[in-house]
Amino acid sequence: MFKYIAVIGAGTMGAGIAQVVAQMKCDVYLYDVNDTLLRRAVERIKADLKRAVQKGLMTPEEVLAVLDHIRPKTHLPDMSPAEFVIEAVTEDLRVKRDMLRRMEEVVKQGVVLATNTSSIPVTAIAAGLKQPSKVVGMHFFNPAPIMKLVEVVRGDRTSDDTLKTTVDFASFLGKTSVTVKDTPGFIVNRVARPYYGEALRIVGENLATVDQVDRIAREVAGFAMGPFELMDLIGIDVNLSVTQSMYDQFGGEPRYRPHPIQKRMVDAGKLGRKTNEGFYRYDEFSKKRIDEPGRS
Amino acid sequence: MTSNKERTPARGVAKAPKRKEPAGKKKAAPAARPVRTTPSKAPTPEVKPRASATAIPVLLLSGEGSLALEYAVAAAAKGYAVHLWNVDPLPAKSALPQQASIVATPTANAAVALEVTISDRAAKQRNVKALDSALPTTSPIISSSLTVTAVEQASWIVGKHRLVGCAALPTYASKLTVEVAPTVFSPRQTLEAVGAFYASLGQRMELVQDRVGLVSARIICQLINEAAFALQEDVARPEDVDTAMQLGVNYPHGPFAWADILGMRNVVAILQALHADYAEERYRVSPLLRQMALGGEWWRRQLEQSPKGM
Repeated sequence: MFKYIAVIGAGTMGAGIAQVVAQMKCDVYLYDVNDTLLRRAVERIKADLKRAVQKGLMTPEEVLAVLDHIRPKTHLPDMSPAEFVIEAVTEDLRVKRDMLRRMEEVVKQGVVLATNTSSIPVTAIAAGLKQPSKVVGMHFFNPAPIMKLVEVVRGDRTSDDTLKTTVDFASFLGKTSVTVKDTPGFIVNRVARPYYGEALRIVGENLATVDQVDRIAREVAGFAMGPFELMDLIGIDVNLSVTQSMYDQFGGEPRYRPHPIQKRMVDAGKLGRKTNEGFYRYDEFSKKRIDEPGRS
Repeated sequence: MTSNKERTPARGVAKAPKRKEPAGKKKAAPAARPVRTTPSKAPTPEVKPRASATAIPVLLLSGEGSLALEYAVAAAAKGYAVHLWNVDPLPAKSALPQQASIVATPTANAAVALEVTISDRAAKQRNVKALDSALPTTSPIISSSLTVTAVEQASWIVGKHRLVGCAALPTYASKLTVEVAPTVFSPRQTLEAVGAFYASLGQRMELVQDRVGLVSARIICQLINEAAFALQEDVARPEDVDTAMQLGVNYPHGPFAWADILGMRNVVAILQALHADYAEERYRVSPLLRQMALGGEWWRRQLEQSPKGM
């Protein structure tokens, strides 16, 4: 159904999406500004596929076939055969809009331009393009090859055709898609806010300790990870910036107000697992959690 | 078999390495600083599952029917004689375990009382008062405190020392952990007796501060509230919201399915209690959620038929 797909941006998400597409036996043009970035992305995909081989999920031949479908490009006009474009560059309105504007000139008339974003309004990215009706949001979750969900975001100007093509494309990739109106946080990031926000308030009010809240979230509510373990994994700075962005976009709605604890931790450089210290401490080398009873 | 014998294994479980009660207590200790007075303030009578004339300890249950049934089944399986008093609506006889019986007045020798009315404040007050005057002063009263704090409930009764709050919601009877909220009146003996009771049901006690909603319910209800706000703004269809939360962030249930499990009315009651207690806009209940609680299953059909459904 689709033969040539363009993925713009070879970061974590771009590489992951390219891998998903290539695994569907579909040619994927992976674009970024230089060869180093592209090589790094292909290496990452290779490493991921190698793990799949080790687990017995794929044969080495299949891996080669997948890699064969990936065509790294640094020259935008080379992407002209693309029948569907997914842009996954950095989360910056201007960069994204500029990229799609240039891409609009390259591809055939009527090709859908999907933007992978979690926090920027699709409608804003589409503004200024010749055909904003062709722009749609496609929010993949990290890691893209594993996570089944794609939020398909309908911008204010997105046409029904564009939406339908995108939903079909998502199912072609083996993903489950949900259609979402272009509102801050879409569904997942929005509905997940209270998980962190309430947990922070509970600890801030001294209602329970960090590890108590995590235990209760796991053992009573049945979450796979407690809110504080999860914030440590996501990165407290990343979590704060998502919350802050939603708070701003919703015009200061109190439900999304960031908690002072988050800000203080970011100021202190306690960002979670990546700095070996967040709500918990982690061993520098083994990366395992250091349990300190009584510490919150 | 004496009641002493019956109690001993329960205590034993409480002290077993995996379900160590001290851990729960130690964790709660720092949290206790701001509010709780030292438990050793008064020469309170020792509270424990009581040695009674009958061989088998009696658990007295009152409050909401379906919830009482869950606890009745769980407790009967662990050897309790379960007495249901003022349970409304009364579960079908066939659904009740054999060891359960329905009583017209609170059993005077009950070892422990569990009051599981969630939102009806007047009914809760009546029940707690009646339990306090009927039960021996040594038997603890464990009362769901999701919408009324435990300390407020304790203020209604004479035996203030023996009432503690807990989180009781549908499915909570089968969890490994239970949130328990002691009050400023709770002596150590009460907590030990309550801990032993939960340990005998196979549940580990997590002591948290006495605030409406406690921990898990406050988080889950706010997730549901946020989902309802999104639905109200027509962001996505309800089934898509559920799918997205399960696949996007691996939640055990989608928020609307979760609301059905916990009871939409319970969810709204907890949110309203949070809103009243904090007087913060943050806990404002989504108007659509309130309607969903009133409309029961009706809202789903209504939404599915909506011509605007995206």
